Amino acid sequence: MDWLFKDPVLLAVALGTGLPFLSMAVILIFTRGNPRASCTISISAVCTSFVCAVYLLAKLFHASAPVQYQTAWLLADDVLIPFGYLLDPLSLLMLTIVATISMLVQIYSLGYMAGDPGFSRYYAFHSLFAWAMMNMVIAPSMFQLFIFWELVGLASYLLIGFYYEKYSASQAGKKAFVMTRFADLGFLMGLLILVVGYGNLNILDLCEAGKTHALPNMLVTVSAMLIFCGVIGKSAQFPLLTWLPDAMEGPTPVSALLHSATMVAAGVYMFSRIFPFFASSPDAMTMALTIGTITMLLASTMAMVTYDLKQVWAYSTVSQLGFMVMSLAAGGYFAGVFHLTTHAGFKALLFLCSGIFIHEFHSNDMRVIGKHGGRNLRIPLVCMTVGALALSGVFPFSGFFSKEAILGVLANSPNKIWLYAGLLGALMTAYYSFRLIFFVVFPKGGVEEHHGHHGEDDHGHEEHGGEHHGYIFWCMAVPVMALATVTLLLGFFQSALEGFLMGPSSAVQAVAAHGAHAGGEAQAAGHGAGHYVLLFTAVSLGLGGIFWAYMEFGRRGAAQEGFLSKLPQIQELFARRWYMDDFLRKSLDNFIYAGLTSAFTKNDRRIIDGGIDGICFFTVAGGRVFSFLQSGMLQHNLLVMVAAVGLVVLYFLF
Amino acid sequence: MSFLIGTEAIAHVAFWIVVGLTFGGAVIAVFPRNIIYNVLGLVMALSGVAGLYLYLGSFFIALMQLLIYVGAICISIVFAIMLSRPLHLEVPKRSVPKVAMAAGASAIFFAAVVGVIFKSNWVPAPEQSGDWSVVTIGHLLLTRYDLVFEVISLVLLVAIIGAIVTAGYSRRFSS
Amino acid sequence: MNALGTYLIIAALLFSLGLLGVLQRRNLIGMLIAVELMLNGASLNFMAFNRFLAPEPAVGQIVTLFIMGLAAAEAAIGLSLILALFRKLRSINVERAQQLKG
Repeated sequence: MDWLFKDPVLLAVALGTGLPFLSMAVILIFTRGNPRASCTISISAVCTSFVCAVYLLAKLFHASAPVQYQTAWLLADDVLIPFGYLLDPLSLLMLTIVATISMLVQIYSLGYMAGDPGFSRYYAFHSLFAWAMMNMVIAPSMFQLFIFWELVGLASYLLIGFYYEKYSASQAGKKAFVMTRFADLGFLMGLLILVVGYGNLNILDLCEAGKTHALPNMLVTVSAMLIFCGVIGKSAQFPLLTWLPDAMEGPTPVSALLHSATMVAAGVYMFSRIFPFFASSPDAMTMALTIGTITMLLASTMAMVTYDLKQVWAYSTVSQLGFMVMSLAAGGYFAGVFHLTTHAGFKALLFLCSGIFIHEFHSNDMRVIGKHGGRNLRIPLVCMTVGALALSGVFPFSGFFSKEAILGVLANSPNKIWLYAGLLGALMTAYYSFRLIFFVVFPKGGVEEHHGHHGEDDHGHEEHGGEHHGYIFWCMAVPVMALATVTLLLGFFQSALEGFLMGPSSAVQAVAAHGAHAGGEAQAAGHGAGHYVLLFTAVSLGLGGIFWAYMEFGRRGAAQEGFLSKLPQIQELFARRWYMDDFLRKSLDNFIYAGLTSAFTKNDRRIIDGGIDGICFFTVAGGRVFSFLQSGMLQHNLLVMVAAVGLVVLYFLF
Repeated sequence: MSFLIGTEAIAHVAFWIVVGLTFGGAVIAVFPRNIIYNVLGLVMALSGVAGLYLYLGSFFIALMQLLIYVGAICISIVFAIMLSRPLHLEVPKRSVPKVAMAAGASAIFFAAVVGVIFKSNWVPAPEQSGDWSVVTIGHLLLTRYDLVFEVISLVLLVAIIGAIVTAGYSRRFSS
Repeated sequence: MNALGTYLIIAALLFSLGLLGVLQRRNLIGMLIAVELMLNGASLNFMAFNRFLAPEPAVGQIVTLFIMGLAAAEAAIGLSLILALFRKLRSINVERAQQLKG
């Protein structure tokens, strides 16, 4: 153990990424019946992780090369699969994000989940998630990444189905699990192809190989496309995007943690993790770009019609993830990762604010919340507005900077259609997020109704005992405010982060060929007139979206009916998620169940079972026949033996 | 009747009498269902074999045959009969198919052995020493065949102990 | 009376009679008696070969002596087994001794 203490970096990373697992084990084994102990253990573990992550970030901020610790885990012929830690700017950044959001969400959950019978279980799963996610982030090889990727999926399944007594929750958990698993099949196949074709899953080596184009083009394209399947599943890209809105069945903090900030970002993270590898295959990049664009537009349209608070943010998450994928696929490595970072902040903020509303009004419907006086909750409302402004890309919130970066990248790609799609997405984003805000702030028919209602419900209010300023409220409010601050300030650190991410210790540092080239051009364009036009367009589109939403939902006397309600077919189309679920269901029923499953069942029943039954039958029957010889009659045995010997001798004589 | 004249002829006649004695004894030993008859038949057959040994030129082995077989083994069989089953009880009937099958198997075996006997070309050793004395047998037993001699005594010892254990202790174990 | 074949056939007949006894007797003691007959048949074979073929007449006699010793051992063990079995089953009918379970 001595070596562990001699190296503070190793100690910090081992401590930070190991403690949550320990805490999960302790909670599950010892303190299930003691919620207070459970949350103390879990939160102190995750706080330690946070401290370690920040320490590592500070310590290695100016490191000149990636720090790597690893030990051989599997050694098969010429394939070596290591386990360990890889600390480079990307993983450090992501580690910090994960630790921060996990910590804030766990503190928030103190209030949100207070009194829940599954409180200890909740914290155990949270710890499991934190452990898996952090280990995934710092994985030095794709194989370790895959293992923890699956563990993250498991934690997600457990947390989505947290209210397992609720049918829809357990269904949603299953749906998320099966859909992501289905996609992971492709991921695993891609990895296997890589193992066979390249014999090395080390991330740094893969990046190096991508940079120098050391791999055969065919191999890279096929395996990159297959690995991208994993991204599609995990980051809910088209066509597997429908699990994410359903995953909102879990507790709201879970949605904030997993389904906006961290877990779904795992797909994008993995994409950026081996970005040079992907970048060396133009075909895979084009595919990713297409899928990202489709996802972004589809999800935005869906978000425009739903009334469920969490669903709006869920669709928005999907569309923002599509945005990140677009950016990465267009070569904007930094822009994508930067948007990932800012998005983690403001989307967690949005979800946690929504959580406060949901906790207060026991409803997910934005109209109900508005009617019952949602605007009286000042702190979450202000914070949510901050988040929504960031989401819409309004200066000076963090979303503005990252969106500008992405749009800059898209503007540099030769085909302008991506840029227009991105601008359209930005418009829709502003529209749907402020549609929600206006629903809450300016409910149709005013809030008087609420006052009366609230008055009647006075004893219920008393029961909560000055909730607005109680322990529970502040548990939830403090993390929200912290996130709002982050959202406000993060954007101004763009150049620092860019220097860090593209710095000398970055794995992608020399991808320059493609990524930095685009980024650099974007920066160059930043000083030109073209960039200002773009900037102006984007911001005005965002503001336009907000204004549009104001006209329809906000202003006095507004009908609070979106323009889409005049087009019922389209509204239906959007609300039903473009019939994607129906399509998947149908194909599942018709192809998998009716075709494959029944064929397999028949094969199973008739051929395999039949064969085995036949073998059994023959064995038993043969045993019956031969057991006549083994009657236990000594003399019968002897008789047969003697006669046989005699016959054999006679046979050889004549 | 001319072959009756002279020792040669007497020896010849006596040989066939001995052979008859042997087979008569063997048949009595095998077929009757009364076990006492079987033992007496066995005694008869063994004595006949002892006579055959005389004809084969070994007085010593013939004596041993009488001593060990007739004197020891047959007596112990009689003891076993007395210890096991009351003689006055009705013995089970013979089942004809079983006897027929046993006879068939034995006949096949006999045919095989006879076939081997006639098909084989028996070649005597080029020169045979005529030394049949007990002295030589004793000498060989303690020199060339001493290992076998030791082993056979060990086998006998183990058999005695084993017999005591199975017959004696099993009473204690089973009760 | 001075031919190898005569003795061999006598021995084979003796052996086959013993075999017949072993195969058809139900009485265990009867089977044991038959086994003694078979052993005698074998001994007779040895003595015959010894008399007519072997270069050294002592060897066959020694083998016969060994067979006698083994027969004695076999009789002792067999009889004690029969006694044990009789105590167990109250019978010495071999057809009733069908179970391996003690």
